[in-house]
Amino acid sequence: MTPMKLLLVDDETDFLNTLLKRMQRRNVDVQGVGSGESALAWLATHATDVVILDVRMPGMDGIETLREIKKKFPLTEVIMLTGHASMEVAIEGMEMGAFDYLMKPMDMDELLYKAEDAFKKKMIHEGKIRQMAEQLR
Amino acid sequence: MGRLQHFFSWFKSQGAPIDEDDARVLRLEFQSRYHQFKLLLNANNQALEIMTELEQAMTGNVPFGMKFIRSRTMGVYTRVYQIVKHLHALAPGKYKALSDRLEAIRLSLESMLITQRPVETTGPLILPFSILDKTFADQAGMKMASIGEIANRLNVRVPDGFVVTAKAFRLFLEQNDLKTEIQRRIQSAEEEGHHQLYTTSADIRRLIQDAPLPQDLEAAIMAAYQELASRRNREPNMAVRSSALNEDREGASFAGLYHSALNVSRDHLADTYKQIVAAAYSPAVMAYRFSRGLADEDTEMCVGVMEMVDAVSGGVLYSANPMNIRDRSVIINSAWGLPKAVVDGTTATDLFQVTKSPALSITHRNIAAKEKKYVCYPGEGVCRLDDTGQEMKRASLTDRQALDLAALAVKIEDYYGCPQDIEWAIDQSGEIILLQCRPLQVNSDAPAPLPPSGDHDDRPPVLFQGGITASPGVASGPVYRVMKDVDTLQFPDGAVLVTDRALARWAALLPRASAVVSEKGGLTGHLANVAREFRVPALFGAAGVIDRLSGQGQITVDADDCRIYPGQVRSLLDISDRPPPRNLMEGTPVFELLEKASELIIPLNLLDPDSPGFKASNCRTLHDITRFCHEKSVHEMFRFGKAHRFPERSSKQLRAQIPMQWWVLNLDDGFRTDVSMERYVDIDNITSMPMLALWAGITAFPWEGPPPVDGKGFVSVMFQATQNQALLPTVRTTMANRNYFMISKNYCSLQSRLGFHFCITEALVGDRTTENYVSFQFKGGAADFNRRLRRVRFVKEILDFHGFRTEVTKDALRARIEQYDAEIMVAKLKILGYLTIHTRQLDMIMANPAMVERYRVQIQKQIDAILAVSHAPVG
Repeated sequence: MTPMKLLLVDDETDFLNTLLKRMQRRNVDVQGVGSGESALAWLATHATDVVILDVRMPGMDGIETLREIKKKFPLTEVIMLTGHASMEVAIEGMEMGAFDYLMKPMDMDELLYKAEDAFKKKMIHEGKIRQMAEQLR
Repeated sequence: MGRLQHFFSWFKSQGAPIDEDDARVLRLEFQSRYHQFKLLLNANNQALEIMTELEQAMTGNVPFGMKFIRSRTMGVYTRVYQIVKHLHALAPGKYKALSDRLEAIRLSLESMLITQRPVETTGPLILPFSILDKTFADQAGMKMASIGEIANRLNVRVPDGFVVTAKAFRLFLEQNDLKTEIQRRIQSAEEEGHHQLYTTSADIRRLIQDAPLPQDLEAAIMAAYQELASRRNREPNMAVRSSALNEDREGASFAGLYHSALNVSRDHLADTYKQIVAAAYSPAVMAYRFSRGLADEDTEMCVGVMEMVDAVSGGVLYSANPMNIRDRSVIINSAWGLPKAVVDGTTATDLFQVTKSPALSITHRNIAAKEKKYVCYPGEGVCRLDDTGQEMKRASLTDRQALDLAALAVKIEDYYGCPQDIEWAIDQSGEIILLQCRPLQVNSDAPAPLPPSGDHDDRPPVLFQGGITASPGVASGPVYRVMKDVDTLQFPDGAVLVTDRALARWAALLPRASAVVSEKGGLTGHLANVAREFRVPALFGAAGVIDRLSGQGQITVDADDCRIYPGQVRSLLDISDRPPPRNLMEGTPVFELLEKASELIIPLNLLDPDSPGFKASNCRTLHDITRFCHEKSVHEMFRFGKAHRFPERSSKQLRAQIPMQWWVLNLDDGFRTDVSMERYVDIDNITSMPMLALWAGITAFPWEGPPPVDGKGFVSVMFQATQNQALLPTVRTTMANRNYFMISKNYCSLQSRLGFHFCITEALVGDRTTENYVSFQFKGGAADFNRRLRRVRFVKEILDFHGFRTEVTKDALRARIEQYDAEIMVAKLKILGYLTIHTRQLDMIMANPAMVERYRVQIQKQIDAILAVSHAPVG
């Protein structure tokens, strides 16, 4: 299996940097950007498997960003992160196809397990699509 | 998914050349389903954990706020939402009613959480003790609400004072944007590891102490102090104590970790308030929170400000023995001066033990040489003195005072309905003043260090000790062992249900059981949940208990103390007749909201998976949906082998020593090395744990060949054979003698058609015990229906004996067994492997009782031999 490529999106620079550092220490292939807009720009030029997305950001918020990601890169899996509990936002996110929804501060291991689960889902999904494409040829 | 199925049928119609494509589709399909199944189980476990948290909050002994309710409700809803999504993926379109039920529950929950926004943004900054009671627990913290309740409801003397509320705390943190800053630092502390904790803690505390108090807040604190001073006709010094909202949460007690400041003068009140708030971020508290997994957000610091008592003597008392839950005598620790000497444990203390029955009397008195004492400085602060005078060796309490303290303890314990931990002082006038009070943490594992109080001499020697309290209480009844479904049929009313696993399906027995004892299981399973709902005492995780209880009749289960006694222990049963602990949060708006929300979350109505009412449209709570989906997901997952055609040409033939053909398809990680270019695979190259177990059973004993058939049996076979060509050994079809394994490391599906009967075994066996599962189906035969039926019953009896859950419909047998650890599952699979081979053609002899008996004995003997080998120590 090819290694998983992650993208972290959060406007809180400190949070973003510590998370990046911790993940890199575990040899995770991960990048970070500070806004929804730059996330979309990054995705347009870099293959990415799983996006970890903060819900509350200035400019494009998490939900808007999720909608755009799912529109432009439907195979990319998205895990939402939030600092406060809102059922409406959680449900909206999952109905728009977010893989899961985690509350900050979250456990680092838990986040990585989630990312791995999301990645596995993407691999399986892509396998099925390849299969269909071959059959249709 | 629908489209995919379309493709399936399209491939099939094309025949053999695309067999490899079939195999690839199948592999993907398997991996996809298996992944969905695992995600579903994860979400299932998380949902149950949150439900348990909610349920513990419902006992009302733990203060909580709106934030708790919102986050837990959201947490449990999103987990259940995912569970349903995964089940839909496993079985598209099959359980549509679930979505409607889930949506209905969501709408009700949302309307509750949106329309009611109590206390969060309202409420005063200051609450005087004079109006305080338990209903203020979510504003004043548990500790202070408790003091108010005792002072105002029980007329016990407490110092005059007031509370700086949770609202004030939030105001303080928000005004200075401290909250974000603190969060940031905590995140980075988690990242840097524990060695960074000290610097981070120091940074955060400095941040808090350097931040100015909001003007409104400072003014409110000073106004409250001035009011108090005018009531007292002087300007007294104060004690300032933390009263955090999540303090003393069961199993996560912050006892002693938060801070108290003693003898603080008027001028330093505001600074001291900040100091106490800052103590929520001391290294000890932060380390504790990390280790307990408590979110920092859950902590809201309320602060009590109370008049300093210039104590002659003081200390701590327990209204029951903390080292022994069943010793109800009052234990008093006392020293000269402030109780600080006792609380900190810095000096030897006097110990009094007071029995409660028949009347209060001192049973034990141990007067120590108390070398240190704490007193108030006249100006501010406290000082520690070396006490060398005569006072040092004198008792710091008179007997009268000890008895008065015990009476106070009994009064408060009776009021709250559970043992209490009380800090007290005796002032210059000799009067008792209560300073702090909270539920006592009792250590039930520790042996009792004190002499028994004589309260319950009828306790016989313990039969069993250990495990965890899954549901509290004491009950007595006859032992009744439930290991398999058939045992439930004769379950007597009022019996103690003794089992090896805390399976959800035993829940149906709980209304009739007096207590439940299980070797496995924890606090958060379905069964524990239902036991608490029905108030049936339950002791889980009691390893070895089945052996201990074998041969016992009547027993008494003391779930609180994790002990089991023979017979009926009257004194213990009397204790359990006490009223349940008083609910401290009851009556608060947040508690009412929790109650309402919980009704849609916690109750489990779908108890029996075999009843006709067990269906999606009957799910009334999130727990129902969780239970339903769990049951159905297992069912859907383990239909895989049956629901999919085996792609023969992509499979490998197993190189085997026995004269049968075995084919293996690797679905994921079932082979050690890649054999894609070869025709055969060796058994050594198989990693699949369940397949290897089956194989060990298949090859354990050589098959003796068909049983000697009597005339009638042979005629029966011939007759059937004319009806069905495939049954004739001479007519070879591809299906007749081939056996198919589909495997991954932890999964195996075996379809075998040996001679005239047909078995399907599916198994998932790995380290996650709760996911382990084996199902077995057995059908067919060459003899007439009656003989086939007898054989099916013959196999059923063997499987029942080995703990399988079995079911016979016509001449088909289904058996399953689940949630045992890998070692046990491997043993069960060996039995199935053995039976697959050795029940061949036994239908022919089923009309001959002597032969049946001979085979029964032989099969049992050989299974015993297989199991004995597997249990022998390795090497």
